[in-house]
Amino acid sequence: MKKIALLCSLLVAFGYADKKAMLGSFDGFVERMGASAHELGRGNTGSADTSAQPGAYWNPALLSFRTQLTYNLHAEQRSLDRTGGSIGVEGRVGKRMGVGFAMLYRGDHAFDVVNDDDETLGEASPYFSIMYLGFAYRLSRRDGLGISFSMSYDNLDISEYYDDISLVDGYQSPVSFNLGWVRQWNEKWSTSVVIRNLSFSKNLSAVWTRNPSTDNSVISTEGVRPKVLQIGVGYRNTLFGKPISAWMEALDYQIADTLLAFDPDRHVWTGRVGFEYEVIPNGSVSLGMNDLNFSFGLGYQFNIRIGKKRWPFDVSYALLYESEANLWNPLSFGVRGWIP
Amino acid sequence: MLKKISVLFFCAISVFAAESLVSNFTFAVAPGPSTGTLWVLSRGDAGSGVTLVTLALGESQVNVISMKSDFFDQKKTAVHDGVFSDVTGETRRTPFLYTEKLGFVVPMLGLDSVESFRQPEGFYSVKTSRILETPLDEPIVELDSAYSSPMAKSIGAFAYDTSTSVLWFSRGILGIESYDVSGSISDPKISNFVLDAKDGSLDTLNRNKKINASENPPIFGLSLHPETSMLWLATEKGLYHQTANRSFEKVEALKDSRVTGVWIGGTPIQIIAETSAREESVTKSKLWRSWNGSDFKEVVFRDTLGKIQKDVYDKADYSVSNVAFIRNKAFLAVQTIEGSISGLVKLDSIGAIPWNHTRQWLYDVEAGVLNKNTILTSVAAIPLTDDIMGLAVSSYGSGISVSADSGQTWSHILNQTAVKDNLGTIRMIPSVIVAGGESMVAYKVGQKSKIIIEVFSYDMRRVRTIVKDVVREENAVRSSKATEDFWDGLDDHGRPCAMGVYYVRVKDNHGHVGWGKVMTLGGNRK
Repeated sequence: MKKIALLCSLLVAFGYADKKAMLGSFDGFVERMGASAHELGRGNTGSADTSAQPGAYWNPALLSFRTQLTYNLHAEQRSLDRTGGSIGVEGRVGKRMGVGFAMLYRGDHAFDVVNDDDETLGEASPYFSIMYLGFAYRLSRRDGLGISFSMSYDNLDISEYYDDISLVDGYQSPVSFNLGWVRQWNEKWSTSVVIRNLSFSKNLSAVWTRNPSTDNSVISTEGVRPKVLQIGVGYRNTLFGKPISAWMEALDYQIADTLLAFDPDRHVWTGRVGFEYEVIPNGSVSLGMNDLNFSFGLGYQFNIRIGKKRWPFDVSYALLYESEANLWNPLSFGVRGWIP
Repeated sequence: MLKKISVLFFCAISVFAAESLVSNFTFAVAPGPSTGTLWVLSRGDAGSGVTLVTLALGESQVNVISMKSDFFDQKKTAVHDGVFSDVTGETRRTPFLYTEKLGFVVPMLGLDSVESFRQPEGFYSVKTSRILETPLDEPIVELDSAYSSPMAKSIGAFAYDTSTSVLWFSRGILGIESYDVSGSISDPKISNFVLDAKDGSLDTLNRNKKINASENPPIFGLSLHPETSMLWLATEKGLYHQTANRSFEKVEALKDSRVTGVWIGGTPIQIIAETSAREESVTKSKLWRSWNGSDFKEVVFRDTLGKIQKDVYDKADYSVSNVAFIRNKAFLAVQTIEGSISGLVKLDSIGAIPWNHTRQWLYDVEAGVLNKNTILTSVAAIPLTDDIMGLAVSSYGSGISVSADSGQTWSHILNQTAVKDNLGTIRMIPSVIVAGGESMVAYKVGQKSKIIIEVFSYDMRRVRTIVKDVVREENAVRSSKATEDFWDGLDDHGRPCAMGVYYVRVKDNHGHVGWGKVMTLGGNRK
């Protein structure tokens, strides 16, 4: 418990650190908002959990722990017409390797396009997605290493309303990559380290220039996706004979186009914490906090027998409160399954 | 203007009447056919056209009684594409005039060879609310290549002689043109003239004539003296005025100047002239005036302490869009290149009237002339009642403003989509911007309230506080203060936010909360 207290105090310290850099105004909200209702219910913690899905997103090293083909789906409707979701497929390759694909999606299905003349031209549905293709290798019974390649695609869906300038709706980022390590120390403890958003460019920075119009009538813009160092810890035990787990993650967002920045103003530190408890057989409740967003989750595992095979499923629900904006989001659902 | 995403969303219906301006992007205002009416010329997202606005004086403001609009053909407009970007004064304005017989007249411009609205094709006139096109043939003459561009032949100014029913307009290198409707509007007599700089005569422009700019200087502007009906011509080689024997004489003080505009009016008569010329890639401009028949002198700019300041007009890089006269005062609509600064300059018998402002001679949004920081494009004196001569200005994006007290207080008239009371609707105008642009937060409160406006990213991280605990009043239409309640696509540290959708929260101190949405296309963080 001392270790948990230490980690908690570290997270609190990170939370009160100077935050001159502002994360919200930078690229990468799709990634920051996470995937899967199961993990959302416990504060978007997943990088140190070998069962977290989609592994290609949470930590590519998790893929090395897959034993069978799995899939996961997640859909949510947040307030202010924000839709989101994710899909993932992953499985084992050979004895020591795993491979997985994940796609995260965020959009707004009711964006009014209003011109300078105060006329509503129509309704757009801009969306933002990011895809991951991950590979992992099991170093030992306890350790796995992984790498995932990611690429984002956005579509602003507004060009049809602008006739005299050649606006471009779609933007595809160059490929960036993420490195992951996970170690299952014993039955109780696991740890992980993930480094996100490295790129094959100067300073390994994921920086790209976008030109919103083909005729240069709109100034070009820079996409700067911060490098992320994500350290996770997991702890499993039992309480009243039922499994309970605690998950914590500390994240460092480096908001600078340099290899390493030591200026604290160029960093945003944040943390995630989550707890999950199996209150009834196969049924769990979870609580979590992701930065200043609070979440509550429910999960239930069951099997469906089709022919001679049993098909395991895990359905999840999450309730999210975005405290900075005072928004409740009660509609987040997920399902994942294992193909026998 | 690229910071604002200007769009042309052509309306499928070319002609209609509606209780709104054609657009809030207005370029000219002029007296209408009767007292209390005015014409407004617009070129905006929905196309170009004119609106006849009928006004009534309320207790504290000017109210709109009705509006009737008509659109120009989609392939034509009255406002050329370089109206903000051209470097010398003569083409940084939109000429217009109200005439008794033809109504409201403005130029008609088509698309030139590079698909830009710069090709002079004639003029539009509108008497009631229906627009008439008057195509004009371009005289077949020989021109030096320096004057081959379409805008070198564009209409620079209109003047109407009520005694002879002749509409005069300047056409640059093509001299001046008379459009005589003394017989019938449907059977006008059209004549073209060039000024002979040597003997001061107006020579008929014959077919295939070779125009030499040194002998026949381009005429950028003209005006009729209201008492003598004599023409005044602003030319590339000085300012000319007509004499009793109908020939033209040069004004001595401006004999070597490139005069780009002349405006006459007021009581006593004021004649205002602008000179503007390029010198080594810099535009040199000056403002001149003859007061009550005196010689032309540079307009005096005195500061609030009464001290005379030199070269104010040139240093500010102004050009005059138009001038309105009310009694002994002149109101000049001025703007800089690209319209970054614009407003009214007020002249009294001494010169420009200063006020307690960073730009002491400019009456703009700070003086309440406009309701937001945008370009003031023209000014006109409008008879509001039999006793009250009002003042009206047009603006780029903020409709028109009307004053019944010679510019002391203003009523702002513009198209505004309704928003619900008590922050029921938050409307971002426009809803798509780039960093450095402006998206106005339009909302309405039901009672006097303290307002907080914040911007959140998609993942609900606060990136910007726009205003905090500012007081906003209850208003029948909107409570927003356009000069403060807008987002410019930047975060709290002045950095452009990444491309994406952002959410704007407006809270009042009575428990009401409203949300709006805005998209930024981003900007450069360097």
